[in-house]
Amino acid sequence: MLEALWNNVDYVASVVLFCIGLYIIIAKNNLIKKFLGLNIMETAVFSFIVALGVVDGGEPPIMGPDATPPFASPIPQALVLTGIVVAVSTTALALSLIIRIYRQCGTIEADELREME
Amino acid sequence: MKKALVAALLVLTAIPLLIGVASMPPHGDPDAPMHTHVSARYIEQGEEEAGAANIVTAVILNYRGLDTAGEVTVIFTALAAALAVLIGFPAPPKDNDGVPAAPAPLSPVVSFVVRLLAPFIVLFSVYVILNGHVTPGGGFQGGAILGGLFIALTIVLGEGRTRVLLPRRGAPWMQGAALLAFVAVGILGTALTGYFLGYPAESQHLVTELMMLVIEVGIGLGGAAIFATIFLQMEEE
Amino acid sequence: MSTAFDIMLLLFLIATALAVARAKDLLAAALIFSSYSLVMCLLWQHRGAPDVAMTEAAVGAGITTVLFLVTIGRTTRREK
Repeated sequence: MLEALWNNVDYVASVVLFCIGLYIIIAKNNLIKKFLGLNIMETAVFSFIVALGVVDGGEPPIMGPDATPPFASPIPQALVLTGIVVAVSTTALALSLIIRIYRQCGTIEADELREME
Repeated sequence: MKKALVAALLVLTAIPLLIGVASMPPHGDPDAPMHTHVSARYIEQGEEEAGAANIVTAVILNYRGLDTAGEVTVIFTALAAALAVLIGFPAPPKDNDGVPAAPAPLSPVVSFVVRLLAPFIVLFSVYVILNGHVTPGGGFQGGAILGGLFIALTIVLGEGRTRVLLPRRGAPWMQGAALLAFVAVGILGTALTGYFLGYPAESQHLVTELMMLVIEVGIGLGGAAIFATIFLQMEEE
Repeated sequence: MSTAFDIMLLLFLIATALAVARAKDLLAAALIFSSYSLVMCLLWQHRGAPDVAMTEAAVGAGITTVLFLVTIGRTTRREK
């Protein structure tokens, strides 16, 4: 099994980054730090999906006069483009909510917010 | 106790993921099932069927066009929700013991460089938007570059001088430009072929390219306006 | 098969993510996250995905970092 993991070192790195992001979300108290962790988790998933479509010696899937096969697969790249847009949308909305929470409650630490009311 | 729980949860998450990763086909293998079914067809026939040399743009605008319509709706909804949360609840006035807070001075080097490079960045972003179906690029990349330029100019020149780019009456139309362009091109596709967002046959490449160009420009303008509005609203006291 | 360049980039990614977890100053965490996004963009460009790399560079290192900095300016700067 270690041999299989060494062949797919890209996927293993994505799993490690996903776990680091999960650790930041669970263990840290500050809301802004939690959203940094969420962004790390999201980019780890995107990296995993893009790594699925890679071919050895492959080129970007752009047809030109001098483009030679093999090409990298275009489907994961299209999915990840939509995913990046959704990630930035949720980040923008989450940061607006954090500003509103700070103006209304005066703090953005999770345990202080839990004890407030 | 809490640290032990967190560590146990992380290990419990990582072990099934690693076992799943170890049993996948090897990385970069051209004979994996990933590359031989749908992908191969898109690569072989994408250029003639969809009329775009950039296969990723062909997948986004033609083969999976409705997904892009959903994505544009998501970013517009995020803008609407962010504005609903922030407008009408200004920050409580804070007194720094009676001493007014001095703003940090802006370096003249930053101001000069941003103002010097602004026209070239606009040119580059327009190039990226319009050339999206031939080279890497597309509507969303150019829109993000334009939005970033607007943010940099607002920081350097002040909000009063850049607000004119987003007038009060026209701002909702600019923000909704992406979805409006999509629906308009979709209705045009219905008129031409009978399917929503249906591109005409392979012999009419010009019409297909024009339709894709309208969608790209709409996504670019809409994305830039949405980023600029979110930044302006978050920056306001 | 991965080359030494790929493994170096992946190790840099993991080190940057750990640095984001450990930074107590939120401004430093946001800027280290911006460099994480840049290295991710380089990795994708090396893998043959230039569209995704351009989007990540414009959005991750441009828009997301600016929004985090504005939020830190409007709230607190240090994590308690």
